[in-house]
Amino acid sequence: MYTRRKVYDLSYFTFIGTWAWILNRLSGLALIFYLCLHIWVINNLTQGAEQFNRVMLFLNQPLFKILEAGLWGVILYHAFNGVRIIIVDFFKGTLAHKRWFVFFIGLAFFLWALGSYLILSHIGG
Amino acid sequence: MKKNFKQTSRRGAIAWLLQRISAAIVFVLLMLHFVTYHFLSRGKAPAYGDVMAKVTSWWFPLLQLVFVTCALYHGLNGVWNIVEDYVSSRFWRLVCYGLILAVGLALFCLGTLTIVRIAYLKA
Repeated sequence: MYTRRKVYDLSYFTFIGTWAWILNRLSGLALIFYLCLHIWVINNLTQGAEQFNRVMLFLNQPLFKILEAGLWGVILYHAFNGVRIIIVDFFKGTLAHKRWFVFFIGLAFFLWALGSYLILSHIGG
Repeated sequence: MKKNFKQTSRRGAIAWLLQRISAAIVFVLLMLHFVTYHFLSRGKAPAYGDVMAKVTSWWFPLLQLVFVTCALYHGLNGVWNIVEDYVSSRFWRLVCYGLILAVGLALFCLGTLTIVRIAYLKA
């Protein structure tokens, strides 16, 4: 029989789906904030070579490279959880949504390690 | 069969579908974007000349325009979905909707201006 959960029932927080949903929203908010910054920074491309190179030199510091690797991680999480959502929505993925989550997180982690190596390999060399 | 419900607006369903379509487009373009600008250069910041050399084809600005449009739609519709979940007052929803629309339009104009200017500069 269906029993109604209390509104603040914390047992939801033991579900993979709940965490996938929370992290999807948080990563989405971080990415839209970054997109706003990105569009504004890329506008420097129109100010000529000197201004562009000045901005790029500033962004080439190790701190920003580490942030770039972090950004790649956030993008991968949001992107591959998004693929899982599309599979759930259109291809009966609900039947195995937890397994899909583990699969895509594994794939995202592999791509994150690979991409971060490429991004960070420039530091100090 | 007689309908026993009132036909409501399909706006939410269309937004839901567009969110998925824009996600698929942004997914492909973003992966290409990262490979071209972040990985092939092995983390080095792209040189001005190299970036400008990439925009010599007719399809490049068009692709960037599709990218900016889809990414902004996807991101800001996502923010609106969150607002719909947590803001119930009609007034504050209107305020949030206005803000999202204003930010979206401003960034779309700025992005388009950048793309058009670059395409114009290379000529």
